[in-house]
Amino acid sequence: MKLRKHAWIGLVLGIILVGALVALAGCGGGTATTTSSSTPAGEQPVKGGTLNVYINEPVSIDPVDLEESEGTQVGQALFDSLTTFDYLTMKVGPAAAASWDVNADASVFTFHLVPGAKFHDGTPVTAGDFVYAWNRLCDPANKSNVSYHLAPVKGFDEVQAGTVKELSGVKAIDDNTLEVTLSYSFADFIYVVAHPTLAPVPKAAVEKDPAAFSAAPVGNGPFMMDGTWQHDQSIQLKAFADYYGKKPNIDGIAFKIFKDPETAFLEFKAGNLDWTMIPTGQIKATQDQYGTSDDGYTGNPGKQVQLGSELSIYYLVVNTKDDIFKNPDLRQAVSLAINRQAIADTVYEGTRAPATSIIPPGIVGYEDGAFPYSKYDVEAAKAALTKAGYPNGQGLPELTLSCNSGGGHEDVMALVQADLKAIGINVKTDFTEWAAYLKKLDDGTFQFGRLGWVADYPIIDNFVYPLFKSGSADNKSKYENPAVDSALEAARKTLDESERIKAYQAIVKTVGQDTPVIPIVAYKHHHVTSARVFNLILSPNYLLDFQDCWIKG
Amino acid sequence: MLTYIGRRILQMIPVFIGVTILLFILRAPGVLPGDPIKLITGERAISPALYNQIVKENALDKPLWYQYGRWMDHLFHGDLGESYQLKRPVADILIEKFPNTLKLALVAILIECFMGMAAGILSAVKRYSFWDVLVTLSTSILVSLPVFWLGMILQVIFGIKFKEWGLPYLPISGMTSADFPGWVHYVLPAVTLASISTAYAARITRSQLLEVMGQDYMRTASAKGLTGGQVIWRHGLKNALIPVVTYLGLDLGAMVGGTILTETVFNWPGIGFQIYRAILSRDWPIVLGAVVIIVILVMIINLLVDISYAFLDPRIRYGRVAK
Repeated sequence: MKLRKHAWIGLVLGIILVGALVALAGCGGGTATTTSSSTPAGEQPVKGGTLNVYINEPVSIDPVDLEESEGTQVGQALFDSLTTFDYLTMKVGPAAAASWDVNADASVFTFHLVPGAKFHDGTPVTAGDFVYAWNRLCDPANKSNVSYHLAPVKGFDEVQAGTVKELSGVKAIDDNTLEVTLSYSFADFIYVVAHPTLAPVPKAAVEKDPAAFSAAPVGNGPFMMDGTWQHDQSIQLKAFADYYGKKPNIDGIAFKIFKDPETAFLEFKAGNLDWTMIPTGQIKATQDQYGTSDDGYTGNPGKQVQLGSELSIYYLVVNTKDDIFKNPDLRQAVSLAINRQAIADTVYEGTRAPATSIIPPGIVGYEDGAFPYSKYDVEAAKAALTKAGYPNGQGLPELTLSCNSGGGHEDVMALVQADLKAIGINVKTDFTEWAAYLKKLDDGTFQFGRLGWVADYPIIDNFVYPLFKSGSADNKSKYENPAVDSALEAARKTLDESERIKAYQAIVKTVGQDTPVIPIVAYKHHHVTSARVFNLILSPNYLLDFQDCWIKG
Repeated sequence: MLTYIGRRILQMIPVFIGVTILLFILRAPGVLPGDPIKLITGERAISPALYNQIVKENALDKPLWYQYGRWMDHLFHGDLGESYQLKRPVADILIEKFPNTLKLALVAILIECFMGMAAGILSAVKRYSFWDVLVTLSTSILVSLPVFWLGMILQVIFGIKFKEWGLPYLPISGMTSADFPGWVHYVLPAVTLASISTAYAARITRSQLLEVMGQDYMRTASAKGLTGGQVIWRHGLKNALIPVVTYLGLDLGAMVGGTILTETVFNWPGIGFQIYRAILSRDWPIVLGAVVIIVILVMIINLLVDISYAFLDPRIRYGRVAK
């Protein structure tokens, strides 16, 4: 074929077009403008403006089922629970309850509500609304995934079984007094009642139309719904004028719902989001461009990248009922052989930190190094392996490391596999998708695998009780230690805060010796605020503080 | 013709039953691993009360044939069940999401139709010219660009760079926003979604038209004294279009099932991503409900394509089968 004269021009033009496209693609990150380096020193809060916030599609924004980070983020703006936890002081403080009393064995809690507080529809918030909300949460007909928050309350099991409709342990003494009786002592219960899923709901509004309430909940918090939830698009909130507490500076929040953090990040760069997640692979570049927050939690102009610790841990779960892994020395050898820093740096680009305990930093009573074998020490690993009866891995059959595919877990498992190979432990990996993997964990047909745990409350109990109590559904290691079981019950009864924390710390150390789980990394935030937002705090439990931030410009 | 359409509609019934039975076999114990209800809470164990509640409501403790019969019965009463995970009626979710997918797919098909066929005709008629080379080259490039990559490049150029340069820019994602009229949000996702198909449509049109143009009757038509345009339009294009229409029909069928990549990159609230999420979490009520609608839509589109053949090619007549 012979090209005509004009055809050559077409060819050349085509090549130029492709070149231009590639060049434009390349300059995505390079020629970025730097932001102003103004600091909040001397900055005064400014009123007004709407904060544009990235979230994924929540499962629910109704307190009846605030089960994951996204729904909880919205729920905590709409609702106030009895108490609140302040991450700067690490103390529980008042919210809907102005004060509370606890009996001697930490089994009866009496909350005195803030008088005059109102729901967004103008009706008063009473103790009866808490009773209604808590019964609603526990009623199996409402299919909540998070009714377990109220498991300590007397009558919980009966309500869950469907034999009765109301929790016998929750009583409204009068409009402003709520009495909660637990079926066992649990001094940390005041941390539990800070969770937004335990907020009051107005009965009349719920029963008028439950579906409408779930799409536009009527709360008692600093913000109220502005329209209804636009599924997979947005949730708009505006400040509630009659809020009883400290009023926010901003006028409203627009939660913009994304499927993919990459898309959200482009919207952020175009100036359409005030807070978003940084996609993996772009953290360093984002830090260079927007500056890093001093404490890892507070975003201010020029110090916008938040890299603080979260209340989540990534760990290996070891089947303690397995014929080979029932040997604690072997579990310790595996734990000592893993180079956690390498995993944090290579797979997670520094967005995770090596874990030295099953408890992550940010939990009240966190101790660095509480799991003595949760460190990288090849010589000690070899010694432990010899002690286990397998010098240099001799006589040890090939082990199977199970894992759910996707989410970058394969990369972590490959590094673990290589680390174990280095001390003579041969491991084959077994990747299946989540549904199949979970079945293996439940059936106990695995040797060791991976899991993650996210705390609901900043307390040690929230890790050790579900993960290590004999028979707990989340105790996938099938760990059984009567001493730990009784120590857990004793700790829950201890009213004195510092004594209680000490008791829990001792439990963590005992479990650490037995090594039924192998902590790998603790999660860190990887988020960024926009240059127009001041004092936007992202707490360790992944809640944004909407009340203290402000927008300028 | 009407008999033919009637017969085709009757044929849809066994296809529909077959597809739904296949889906039910997939959820039989042991076929796909994993208990859907245990997946609801992610890495945390589900409470026994909730587990029992969902089993009871969905009759999951009953044999599969019973569940199938029950599901069909509910379907005929317009009830598609409730999502295990989202705990909302499936019908509500589908009514919310399907129109968004359909709107985007129709805009993309229109782009495909006009751009693809125009480019194909141009390059066939002006074979080996500047335009032909431009079309051939650009379609080669388009076909080889991954959709998500093209989407992100368009977002960076038209959403971010144009804004920085002070040019009129386009929204990056979503279906609505305060800053733009609604239709503007369709531009980037529809172009991205149509990109590969437009290229194919152009290439098919070009090759078909070239083949037709070599036929004797085309020469005869020219010899009769018809103008070039009349020859191409009346005699060429009509004969060349059947494979193009077939392709467009298949493509529209694929698009109504949702386009996960485009929907993800442009944050489009469509059905594709919803189904993808439902499959991963074994949320059977959503999967079944969505597949029912997709099967029906695809069958209707295929029927329309078949009917269109009769208008394009006078030799094709649907009626009684000759014995």
